Amino acid sequence: MDLGLEQFAYLDSPIHRWEARTRLVGLLALIFAFSFVQQMALLPMMGLVTAVLFLLSRLPITFWFNRLRYPGIFLLAVAVLLPFFSGQTVLWQLGPLALRQEGLLEFLLIFVKFVCILTISLVLFGAAPFLTTIKAMRALRLPPILADMLLLTYRYIFELGHDLRTMERAMRLRGFAAGRLSARGARALAAVAGTLLVRSYEQSERVYQAMVLRGYGQTVARPADGFMTTGRDWAALTAVLLVALGFVLAEAMLG
Amino acid sequence: MHIPDGILPTSVLVGGYAVTGVATWLSLRKINQQANPQAGVPKAALLTAAFFVASWIHIPVPPTSVHLVLNGLLGVVLGYYAFPAILIGLFLQAIMFQHGGLTTLGVNAAMMGIPALLAYGLFRLGLRLAPADPASPKQRTIIGAAAFVAGAVGLALAAFIAFSLLITTIPATLAVEMERAAVTALTLAHLPLALIEGVFTVFVVAFLLRVKPEMMANGRKR
Repeated sequence: MDLGLEQFAYLDSPIHRWEARTRLVGLLALIFAFSFVQQMALLPMMGLVTAVLFLLSRLPITFWFNRLRYPGIFLLAVAVLLPFFSGQTVLWQLGPLALRQEGLLEFLLIFVKFVCILTISLVLFGAAPFLTTIKAMRALRLPPILADMLLLTYRYIFELGHDLRTMERAMRLRGFAAGRLSARGARALAAVAGTLLVRSYEQSERVYQAMVLRGYGQTVARPADGFMTTGRDWAALTAVLLVALGFVLAEAMLG
Repeated sequence: MHIPDGILPTSVLVGGYAVTGVATWLSLRKINQQANPQAGVPKAALLTAAFFVASWIHIPVPPTSVHLVLNGLLGVVLGYYAFPAILIGLFLQAIMFQHGGLTTLGVNAAMMGIPALLAYGLFRLGLRLAPADPASPKQRTIIGAAAFVAGAVGLALAAFIAFSLLITTIPATLAVEMERAAVTALTLAHLPLALIEGVFTVFVVAFLLRVKPEMMANGRKR
């Protein structure tokens, strides 16, 4: 079970202390500015900004590595053909395989952008309890239905994941061979999926009644969200927005 | 079937967010037209969590195994909540497991969510064509066929959208015909998965109709 996202949510660092709403806006703006970049010349700067933010967050490097490993492999699988098919300048040739310079550079661009964007999103979501992040999104006018669904979904993923593990273990103990493809096996797995759905459906009725008893659905005056911005938060937001703007302008000028 | 960060150009990312924004807005509007929109929230949220977890089930396809996408089934079960459910599921996948990405969230949600809504429409059409008598074998056949089409179309369309986006926007200098051939080939290569997804959807729908028929009630004619 992966509980790791909030593992380091309670460290003490400048990023952790940064108020959640301004942090969300600032770092999301930076992520989108990164995705805008197409110029190789901006990559070292992008890496530097990312490294500074990651170091400021005091998240351990193992956390970063563990979380980037599998998506990194997936990205390699998607983009690995580029250096062989794109461009004219052949750097190295082995039979029909030719490593091309343009493709290699495009691959590098994609890979650096991918690593930087993922690192910033780890800093953004790894440095705060998820509940705080949802509250911040709600305070930033995320529709209440989406905010409520997001919170409840997050809350029950772990519980249902546990149910799934239990059911799978029970099936194995009863002699279910997971490795063979058969209509009967597929039907059994469909029953597992169906059971998960039925259980969550039944539980949702109890959850809803419990929520109504606690006042859910009553229109109250907008509850105070408890966020306090200080001058330092605004300064951090301004600085990050300026950096993001800098990337966009530099890209526009070089492009 | 998640497009990661860093690959797609900004114009496509913005387009993805625009489509997702409109689809979410339309879905929320449909939801808010219901008598008590908040009553559906826990149901949709827990089912979203259940779908999230169900996608961890691996189906053996020797020599390997594949995990299911289930976006067609999600459309069939959740109806208008399907799009917000997929948006939330993908957001959580991006931040909890770094699958997909934040910049590509709009594109990914549109790519999986619009086929889910289409699957919902197709399944509802099937229900309307089926005779009302639950004892009639014809009803089972038609509902089964509708569930199969919904599950298979959900996956096949998502695969087609994903490959079209990846191949036409990756900056490789490929000829148009070659791009078209590659998209076709990759989508065709996913047809077996679409078949598996369709069969699995039939099994789950049959299970739900047997065990908890009121869950499927939202598209049934009265």
